[in-house]
Amino acid sequence: MQLSTLLPKRTRSTAVLVVFGGALAAATWLSGDHGFAVALVVFYLVAAVVVYLVAGGSSDVAAIMRTDGDERQRSLDHEATRWSGIAMAAVALVATVVLVAQGKDPGGYVWICTVGGFSYVVALFLLRRRR
Amino acid sequence: MKNRVRELRSAGGLSQGALGAELGVSRQTINSIEQGRYLPSLPLAMAIARHFTTTVEDIFEPEEND
Repeated sequence: MQLSTLLPKRTRSTAVLVVFGGALAAATWLSGDHGFAVALVVFYLVAAVVVYLVAGGSSDVAAIMRTDGDERQRSLDHEATRWSGIAMAAVALVATVVLVAQGKDPGGYVWICTVGGFSYVVALFLLRRRR
Repeated sequence: MKNRVRELRSAGGLSQGALGAELGVSRQTINSIEQGRYLPSLPLAMAIARHFTTTVEDIFEPEEND
């Protein structure tokens, strides 16, 4: 059964926040930082309530949060996602270059660059066959 | 791209929300199309034309720089 049939549209974005926020808080708790874990729970609960309330509206943002937007709203979502991806890639690339120049281990930034580049090539290959 | 959506909608006495509901899109999308900020997909353009019982070419007209 799909997530879309299990949860009403309004609660999907809320559920994502609760599940991933809960997982992050649980991991933080297990690491021993109990204070920060509680703060994360509070932050994600407040964010979930805000998202639930906003998603019940009739704005473009509400429709995108409910994942039931029309073609223009979906294109807004895709465009915003594209800009977000560009920003993340730029930060990862710059951080990698700066850390390497400082003689430090770029660590996770290299993985982000690698996964980003590889997934772009795969996506391009697959999308090219569909259009 | 110029269009006559606002003119045709007003002539029919429809609000943006009502036209959007009939076409399965939001009021904001109808507003964006009327303002020329959003160019609808071919299926939506055809749905708009069918709604006003006319053709896509009659509603949407390219401008010089299109």
